[in-house]
Amino acid sequence: MRKTLSILLSVILMTVVLSACTSNNAGTPSNGGQATNAPEGQGQPKEGGSLIIGVASDPVILNPNYAGDRVSLTIDQALFAPLFQVNNGKKTFYLAESLEPSADNLTYTLKLKSGLTWHDGEKLTADDVVFTIEKILDESQNSLLRENFIVDGKPVQVVKVDETTVEFKLPQVSPAFEATLVQVYPIPKHIFENEANIEKSEKNRAPIGSGPFKYKEYKTGEYLTVERFDNYFGGKPYLDSITYRIAKDTNTANLALQNGEINVKYVDPQDVATIEATNKFQILPYSEGRLAYLNFNQNSDTGLMSKFEVRQAISHALNRDELILGTYLSADYADAAHSFVTPDGLFHTNDVTSYEYDVEKAKELIKAAGAENAKIRFITQSGNKSQEAVGLYVQQHLKEIGLNVELSSMDSSAYVQKLIDPNTTDYEILLGGYIMGYDPDAYSILFTSNGNSNYSHVKNAEADALFQAGAAEADEAKRAEIYKQLQEIIAKEAVIYPVAYTKTIVAVDNKYGGIEEAVLKPVVIFEDLSKIYVK
Amino acid sequence: MKQLIARRLLQTIPLLFFVSIVCFAMIKAAPGDPVLSFVTPNMHAEDIERIRHNLGLDKPAYVQYWLWLKEVVQGNLGYSLVNHQPVLDQIIERLPATAGLMGSAIGLAVLIAIPLGLTAGANRNRWADKLINFISYVGISIPVFWLGIIVIYLFAIKLHWLPSMGMRTIGVNSTLDIIKHAILPVSVLAFSFLAVYVRYIRSSTIGQLKEEYVQIQYAFGSNKKTILFRHVMKHVLLPIITLLGMSMGELVAGAIVTETVFSWPGIGSLGMTAVKGMDYPLIMGITLFSAVLLILGNLAADILYSFADPRIKSTR
Repeated sequence: MRKTLSILLSVILMTVVLSACTSNNAGTPSNGGQATNAPEGQGQPKEGGSLIIGVASDPVILNPNYAGDRVSLTIDQALFAPLFQVNNGKKTFYLAESLEPSADNLTYTLKLKSGLTWHDGEKLTADDVVFTIEKILDESQNSLLRENFIVDGKPVQVVKVDETTVEFKLPQVSPAFEATLVQVYPIPKHIFENEANIEKSEKNRAPIGSGPFKYKEYKTGEYLTVERFDNYFGGKPYLDSITYRIAKDTNTANLALQNGEINVKYVDPQDVATIEATNKFQILPYSEGRLAYLNFNQNSDTGLMSKFEVRQAISHALNRDELILGTYLSADYADAAHSFVTPDGLFHTNDVTSYEYDVEKAKELIKAAGAENAKIRFITQSGNKSQEAVGLYVQQHLKEIGLNVELSSMDSSAYVQKLIDPNTTDYEILLGGYIMGYDPDAYSILFTSNGNSNYSHVKNAEADALFQAGAAEADEAKRAEIYKQLQEIIAKEAVIYPVAYTKTIVAVDNKYGGIEEAVLKPVVIFEDLSKIYVK
Repeated sequence: MKQLIARRLLQTIPLLFFVSIVCFAMIKAAPGDPVLSFVTPNMHAEDIERIRHNLGLDKPAYVQYWLWLKEVVQGNLGYSLVNHQPVLDQIIERLPATAGLMGSAIGLAVLIAIPLGLTAGANRNRWADKLINFISYVGISIPVFWLGIIVIYLFAIKLHWLPSMGMRTIGVNSTLDIIKHAILPVSVLAFSFLAVYVRYIRSSTIGQLKEEYVQIQYAFGSNKKTILFRHVMKHVLLPIITLLGMSMGELVAGAIVTETVFSWPGIGSLGMTAVKGMDYPLIMGITLFSAVLLILGNLAADILYSFADPRIKSTR
């Protein structure tokens, strides 16, 4: 028995000894804490090195026709190249060389660069683009992008003209079509043509793309690594590899960031001060084209929110600047919002009717509407500090004008169900957020009577007509006028209460350069990862 | 003995059936809808219905359950609704990480609990007992997510002794590397398990010390330490077999919080993702899998027990 005991003891001791040995090689390969502030060689792009990006979960599916979650989209950005991207109204061409609309705006001719290849060396041609769009349109394939290719109830037609030219034929003029093509990241025909169900295909587990980095290794629940693609059409990327490290707990991930085990990561406003204090990171807030807003459910069974006075009164009861400061801690991380179109959107204007903070006026309106002491059911999503802060703020301020807010915080699946079920009548206000892209036609689904996502249940014939006109108006100036009018109507009717255009904050380790060239991009962090290098 | 095993195995079948029905009913009763993860804002109601149909979720609940059961009987746990990978593959992929983590943590907890429990039992209500009790209650009371962050801060950020998270250094595939990553989560988990085992061993030590054989040893002039660690320990260790059998379920279900805090790629974090995405086949698969192991673990404990203590056999 004594022997047993000594074994027990030695096992316990082993743990201690092991932890002691490891102290010798504290600076594990990924630890870049030491030389971060070194000024030498700054700005000089150099080849080699690796980058670790922290992500919150495993990717769901590494196929751009299906990727809908943030992590999959982020990784796809390295693996797959888009046709072209649009930033502040300016096109950057990737696989495509040019995109020309015909005189009648019903045909778009897309020309691909020549000599494009997939990661496996096969040629990337017009066939791949046509194949990708056909699969998006194929109902049995369940692609998330399908609806975008239906214009005026009919599918867009795609035709191969020659090896590098594709024509898109539209059933109706649609200036928003360019914004649809922005979302297309071609998938390889030679890999998927014999797959009956692309979504469930085994081929998605080791994807072949055309982006700056190719798939290397995936350890479920741990990390996914991509390595440099030397034949990338945009020039050989600087970095040898990029690893997406899965860190489910935000607090731990922040510690790993400070420890050099993660180099790039989203951070919450609440954590910026701690991260900044280490002097090892660039803190980069950037607009995601996202609006945080209060959704007024005009369908609620109390009928309260269908009364214009009530919506107006609620808007008057809230102090937007105070709300932003309390929720996002600094005006650097969120801009006051008045219009439903986000600042990155075409024809955005914040110069619309706004019901400013005025408690007395709000009280009068509530009285006029006969809504004194009414109960307001307010839904927020649980587990998000900012959302909870907004909830409490609104509760307190509506109490001042005599409305009793009943807060309920729901987990994401229950919350989404409440939001999108068209028959939900058991709430008045829901705190929501959306990213709709740069073309304002996208908003028609939210604010037209028959919109697929008319969460507010707004019915406004004038707005419906304007949205319809705007979708098919080829003349830029006329189109601008239409969407300016629309922004005014929605604001004046107080259909929603826009809170703020929120920003995303990314922390990037100081040792990396080329961040500006890589372009910070909503949802996917960087648009072009080939430009990032180790200083 | 063979008869016993056969009878017990037969008993598990209705039990598993019951477990699966309860689990399925609870998922169905929960708010949320798995189709929502496939819905984009610009889809028509018909598109949503088409997806629901493609996933087989438009059928009545009992039909869905029946279809699921038919496959399970043939050894097919189905496919995840979210990423379409086979459920069994996903569980098996994550199993080593979880079994390693939980196994080491339970093992470590038992190893520490034996001397502590014996000492506490032998010194009942004296300062050593109180101190040990205090330590084990601290272990059970401190939330794992908090302790996890503290040890990461201390050992990874401040001292640079250990990595802060994950199971491997990127691109490295060595056992030593995994052990290095495991030290913090295993210790934190073991600390939280400690109390249960210490209490158990302490009370059986107190019981054993009243037995005649202990009195006889005293009469022979053996010293207290020898009695405790040579004779009493043997008897005390026996019931631990049962305790370990009961831990089998945990062994695969994993520790959701610990795995999340340390980004440990185990079944606990897989289960968390499954619940968030309303991924029923995966939730059902994990539940069923841990139920099977819990039942088998208990059975194994009983069998081992009857070998270790022949008196048991006759009583069954």
